[in-house]
Amino acid sequence: MAANYSERIHIAGTHSAWQENLLGGGGELSLDSDFVSHVRNLCSRGLESLIVEHFLCSVEVSAHFIFIYPSERNQIDGWGVKEDYSADEISFAAGTFEKMGHQGFGSILMSTEILQFLIWKINIFCMFGNSLSCNLLDQQSAMQDILHKALEEIISEKQYQGKCLLMLVHALEMCRGNDGMDLDCKTAEMDIDGAHHHKSTLGNNKLVRNIGVVVRDLRSLGFTSIAEDAYASAIFLLLKSKVRELAGDEFRFSVLESIKGFKNEIASTGLRIKDHVEYLHSAVPLQFLHAPCLLGESKSYESPSSGLKSPLASHLSFTHYGTGIPSEGLVRWQLRLEYFAYETLQDLRIAKLFEIIVDYPDSSPAIEDLKLCLEYTGQHSKLVDSFIAALKYRLLTAGASTNDILHQYVSTIKALRTIDPAGVFLEAVGEPIREYLRGRKDTIKCIVTMLTDGAGGNPSGPGSTGDSLLEELNRDEENQENSSLDDDANTDDKQAWMNAQSWEPDPVEADSLKGGRYRRKVDILGMIVSIIGSKDHLVNEYRVMLAEKLLNKSDYDIDSEIRTLELLKIHFGESSMQKCEIMLNDLIDSKRTNTNIKATLKLQPQPVADVGEHELSLDNLNATIISSNFWPPIQDEALNIPGPVDRLLSDYAKRFNEIKTPRKLLWKKNLGTVKLELQFEDRTLQFSVTPLHASIISQFEDQTSWTSKNLAAAVGVPVDVLNRRIYFWINKNQYKSGDHKFTLVEALVESGKTPVNTGSYEELLVGDEEGETSVASVEDQLRKEMTVYEKFITGMLTNFGSMALDRIHNTLKMFCIGDPPYDKSLQQLQGFLVGLVAEEKLELRDGMYFLKK
Amino acid sequence: MATVSNVNHQDNNPNTNTVAAAAPPVSLAKQTVPTAKTVDTQLQSELMALMMSGDAGISAFPEEDNIFCWKGTITGSKDTVFEGTEYKLSLAFPSDYPFKPPKVKFETGCFHPNVDVYGNICLDILQDKWSSAYDVRTILLSIQSLLGEPNTSSPLNTQAASLWGNQEEYRKMVEKLYKPTA
Repeated sequence: MAANYSERIHIAGTHSAWQENLLGGGGELSLDSDFVSHVRNLCSRGLESLIVEHFLCSVEVSAHFIFIYPSERNQIDGWGVKEDYSADEISFAAGTFEKMGHQGFGSILMSTEILQFLIWKINIFCMFGNSLSCNLLDQQSAMQDILHKALEEIISEKQYQGKCLLMLVHALEMCRGNDGMDLDCKTAEMDIDGAHHHKSTLGNNKLVRNIGVVVRDLRSLGFTSIAEDAYASAIFLLLKSKVRELAGDEFRFSVLESIKGFKNEIASTGLRIKDHVEYLHSAVPLQFLHAPCLLGESKSYESPSSGLKSPLASHLSFTHYGTGIPSEGLVRWQLRLEYFAYETLQDLRIAKLFEIIVDYPDSSPAIEDLKLCLEYTGQHSKLVDSFIAALKYRLLTAGASTNDILHQYVSTIKALRTIDPAGVFLEAVGEPIREYLRGRKDTIKCIVTMLTDGAGGNPSGPGSTGDSLLEELNRDEENQENSSLDDDANTDDKQAWMNAQSWEPDPVEADSLKGGRYRRKVDILGMIVSIIGSKDHLVNEYRVMLAEKLLNKSDYDIDSEIRTLELLKIHFGESSMQKCEIMLNDLIDSKRTNTNIKATLKLQPQPVADVGEHELSLDNLNATIISSNFWPPIQDEALNIPGPVDRLLSDYAKRFNEIKTPRKLLWKKNLGTVKLELQFEDRTLQFSVTPLHASIISQFEDQTSWTSKNLAAAVGVPVDVLNRRIYFWINKNQYKSGDHKFTLVEALVESGKTPVNTGSYEELLVGDEEGETSVASVEDQLRKEMTVYEKFITGMLTNFGSMALDRIHNTLKMFCIGDPPYDKSLQQLQGFLVGLVAEEKLELRDGMYFLKK
Repeated sequence: MATVSNVNHQDNNPNTNTVAAAAPPVSLAKQTVPTAKTVDTQLQSELMALMMSGDAGISAFPEEDNIFCWKGTITGSKDTVFEGTEYKLSLAFPSDYPFKPPKVKFETGCFHPNVDVYGNICLDILQDKWSSAYDVRTILLSIQSLLGEPNTSSPLNTQAASLWGNQEEYRKMVEKLYKPTA
């Protein structure tokens, strides 16, 4: 018994040593027979349970640390093949694994390695089962448990697997860097990564064969679907990372081509593997197969040409490998891969669309890519949703300036019309922006500035964006017209100009696909005008801005304004710009009249200079004569101007009356620009200021100290206005302010400054200051109109108690049809009512407006 | 009073005729079929004038969608017993306005010698003394001044008329009976 015991222990020891050897990967084929005989021996001694237990234990332990490598798998596979196991056993094992696979793995990404590990396990299991066939059924459940546990272990190793996968992917990419199709090199690298120590020269064939075997095993085990999922995941992951790497944050170049190339490469690789598999097994084709490490050629394709000639283009792959018609599976796989590539790039681009559009003109290649991708995938709605979300989050916030929003809007229009010429998606994307911009007060002003500025300013200046939007639009327009008219031989520039003049903005909803020849891109101007609601508002705002600009001009140079006006006329039509044209004509006439008056005055003897020192001649005076009916309301402000100047003005007016007899000149004394030179004891300064500023300073000629009250009376303006304006001079160190008295600072010495800027000419745009515009702004005009409505609203609320917004709106529409008929939108009314509520004239409760008692 | 009113209307007819005669451009055809449009414009401009006049304490506005039916509001003038009270009126304009006076009623109960419990008003310019020169504004101003200066000689509300002499008591009565509409 003792001997028996010791023998048993010995056998068990041998067995376990052997087994560990085997599991450790160092097993030799020659041991196989030994192993079988050992097992037989042990079985004959009734120690089956011990063996089984031990073996299973070993398997369990090995699961903790063994990560199977192709060589081991190969070896064990060799056994598996050698063993004459029955089909029943295989199917049993397959069933078990399939079941466990489904339970355990679920949606977990399975790498090839896991599968290989599984195969290996199955093989061991089969082999072992074979040697213990008699007891197999008894041990079934125990083995199942153990293997189940083992599988769970595998799952827990998933992280590691993932890492390995990444390594593989990385290695593959590196290989790609090595001139793409250097397959041998790649394989070698893969082998190293996998710590595979077989000879690299044999690597290709061996690996391919391995894969072939794996595939066959998997299929025979019924693992097809799981394996395919794993391949798909792996290859998509690979593709995705590649696309990301290629596309990245670079929008300046088109990456689609390179991605296509890469995709084709993968595709051709996949196809070759597939071909190989088909060749080996001539079985039902797998849909695809991914194995980053196997790019070797099977024997049939081992001709030297295949490696070198391996074409990147997929169609060449087909012709090369298909040697006939490519199978349906191949085509499907190809399409699927292509779709995935497009989709990945598209998703990447959509996520970054906001940035892309921010630097639009530079990023147009990215837009082109996106366009192609979208054409392929058709996921436009994804773009719209994602972009709107980005806009709301990043652009349409209180922090963004109206100008920025408008620029982004224009870029969006430009970018999206490339992607979607029909403008449908643009409409969807633009709506939130428009909605938001309507809520901003300075929108119109910004739009007008954007449209017109840059044309007049210095285009090369750092602040300006170069050309005005209008110029740009016009250029586009002319290009379009020219290209569309190229075929007409007799078309000259004049004709083109005529065509351009007859241009009318398309309605936004217009189907731009209509009419092949006149097919037009999405109309940017129309889109912008649609923010405001009507072009009249825009034109009105422009008129105010133009008036402001013209009134502040000291020369009569209006070339840039004329140009802008001509451009605007093209887009808005002659009639709506009529008033602006009259304004410009006024300026031209003024120039003529001005010269005329001066010429006639020169013929007459010069009137004796009023005051010797303040000699002023009409040469110093240039008048802008305006037809005030066509100008926006001009702010009138009483002002006493210095006597000599006043006399000069009336002289001028008299001359004007003589020349243009029925007409008389009415001076708007508060408007205009005065260039003056101030002579102090120690310095001379030149300024360009408003008449009011000039009047103020001129009062100090005779009297160096004034109280604000007296000064205000002398200048003829209210004290608060005076106080506001005089700060200009105080800031310039011309006065001291103290005890409500202003004293002229004769010398700068006392303020501790050296007069370095003696004689320098200071340009000042006083008119830019808040509330000092010479023309009543559109808001002011609107405000005036609204006071009428306020009376109506008060009237109706007095009599009806409370009213909801839309009822007020409707009532106004119905009954307020007087001189300024009620033409406001509901939003405008609401804004106005909010203002009234803020002024505590109204109350808003539960959506109803009340009069504040 | 209703009968009196009717009689007054009959009295009024010659008046309108004379006006029509005085204004020859208004053709007979136009008068027989008083074009809704002209009355419309008339009321419209009166509304505009009323709104722009900015008279304190009087206001009126057309109802919902009918320019012939107005709601009016009058507040009691200062230093009268009606100070601090607000009365709603209804004004119904006839289709031949302004040749006929509008029907004006108090919607808010008003304790006043010339206003009955139903809100009917006894005011000469709304009856026999009507002239097409009057407009909504003058009507409202007249009613507002009527509050402070009732004609106690021909009262509709005799209790009010008799109490008018005692202004303090009258004030208390006004306050007691005043039920402002929401």
